[in-house]
Amino acid sequence: MLLPRFDVLVPETIDDACAMLADYADDGVRILAGGTDLLVDLRRPIIPQHVPRCDGCPTHPEGQIATTIECEPSKSDPLMSPEGSIRTKLADPKSAAPAFLVSLHKIDQLKGIELLPSGGLRIGALTTISEIERSSEIRKDWTALAHGADSLGSPLVRNRGTLGGNIANARPAADTVIPTIALGGKLTLQSSSDTRTVAAGDFPTGPGLSVLKPGEIVTDIHLPTPSPHSGSAYYKMANRKALEISTVGVAVWMVLEKPGGPIKDVRVALGAVGPTPILAKSVGKVLIGKVPTDEILVQAAKAAAGDARPIDDHRGSAWYRVQMVEQLTLRLLKSVLSGIENDR
Amino acid sequence: MKKIISLTVNGVSHEVAVEPRRTLLELIREDLGLTGTKKGCGIGDCGTCTVLLDGVATFSCLTLAIQADGCTVETVESLAENGQLNRLQQAFVDQGAIQCGYCTPGMLMTTTELLRRNPHPEESEIRRAISGNLCRCTGYQKIVEAIQTATEDSDE
Ligand SMILES: Cc1cc2nc3c(=O)[nH]c(=O)nc-3n(C[C@H](O)[C@H](O)[C@H](O)COP(=O)(O)OP(=O)(O)OC[C@H]3O[C@@H](n4cnc5c(N)ncnc54)[C@H](O)[C@@H]3O)c2cc1C
Ligand code: FES
Ligand code: FES
Repeated sequence: MLLPRFDVLVPETIDDACAMLADYADDGVRILAGGTDLLVDLRRPIIPQHVPRCDGCPTHPEGQIATTIECEPSKSDPLMSPEGSIRTKLADPKSAAPAFLVSLHKIDQLKGIELLPSGGLRIGALTTISEIERSSEIRKDWTALAHGADSLGSPLVRNRGTLGGNIANARPAADTVIPTIALGGKLTLQSSSDTRTVAAGDFPTGPGLSVLKPGEIVTDIHLPTPSPHSGSAYYKMANRKALEISTVGVAVWMVLEKPGGPIKDVRVALGAVGPTPILAKSVGKVLIGKVPTDEILVQAAKAAAGDARPIDDHRGSAWYRVQMVEQLTLRLLKSVLSGIENDR
Repeated sequence: MKKIISLTVNGVSHEVAVEPRRTLLELIREDLGLTGTKKGCGIGDCGTCTVLLDGVATFSCLTLAIQADGCTVETVESLAENGQLNRLQQAFVDQGAIQCGYCTPGMLMTTTELLRRNPHPEESEIRRAISGNLCRCTGYQKIVEAIQTATEDSDE
């Protein structure tokens, strides 16, 4: 099956890309990075169950698949959940069938992993998941993100897919996003008129939805300097080891005041248990200032489970997911703690 | 409107006019006539369309031809040396790692990338490396054995 017709623009600088996004906004324009989400979405209209149906229009009778720009998808179609990402995007003709794709592949400014003089890390949005997986700096000091990269898709998906794409796509199970939130990552968003910084946790607003405005590009991801006595980890629970979307994903980041505790700061982020990734804020209330004991870790894991807002679907029931959040959080809190203790 | 791109495929440079929506897979198979590379799912799930793009194992079905402008592409047709199957290909034949053969071009290209990066992979590394390449026939065991054989040979 051929992809729908579109033109591809190939800017070489971020400024040019922003200008193109602004210039072609009225025609329907999408950003193309690795294409592992976007090109799949653009192909999707032949898979009937994924597709909005027509209410009845000049092109298609009632109930037929809305394949073309001129069709209005049906409001009564149960697949068209009001906040549903792909479906909402498909419902927006300019997004579902954009006239232009702005491909970022020639913009060198968007590539690379760089230790900053401040000690933090800058990752260009176009950095592939494989590059993150192979970065020894990330594995050592921002371990949860390396774990996220290890678990995403398959080697072929990781070779092509980018960190910026995983973030911008705003899926609640996105495997590099859950760790980025736990690690306190910040995103830089640039448009032709503005540059702003957003906490990774504030970026997604619903499945496939985010604070990204039309015309904005995620340019880089900034991870803060690792504190002394800190560590992090991510675990993706899924039915298979490759090519699987998580049933539950949990990322933990923790800092101790000194070896042995007390806990100075902690962040637990949860994937696939809500419409967006969830920062389990109750965990901090239980743990911060406390010396880590088995008992208090169990309490913290229960608090994380209380913050989950899962639904039943084919990957697992809501009940099961809540149980797994508790178990995985406990396991990860323990493994991160022992990692910090062994590090000294 | 078509765009002119230039790329090197299996050592030969090409300048081709492509429609922007044309995938690298369509370019390789239909415009260049290199039909060794197969199309399976078309959405990144099966890996049979794998080629090396600047040395990186890449599914050509989810890569636009335009994104390969200025790049070097290697397909399964590049593996044979002087008309003879290379060591990896011969190992696939000898070990019974090919049944219907549909996954083979992708398996070979993914493995070629692995062995360049890591000439002596552990079994677990092999299994992980081919985890994006589906094979519905062999059950993978024979493929893993073929790859192991190919790497043992290179010790000599
Ligand atoms: C077979 C398969 C398996 C997968 N498995 C997983 C998995 O296990 N876990 C997981 O999390 N994901 C998975 N994915 C999804 C996908 O691979 C990731 O989300 C990937 O990181 C997307 O990156 P990309 O560069 O390919 O994005 P693209 O497809 O190029 O873009 C995705 C979206 O983000 C926008 N975008 C991209 N870059 C930017 C930017 N810099 N600024 C603003 N907007 C941007 C695009 O416009 C588009 O809407 C899988 C995909 C496939 C095909
Ligand atoms: S055809 Fe490309 S991954 Fe299946
Ligand atoms: S040999 Fe038939 S799919 Fe692998």
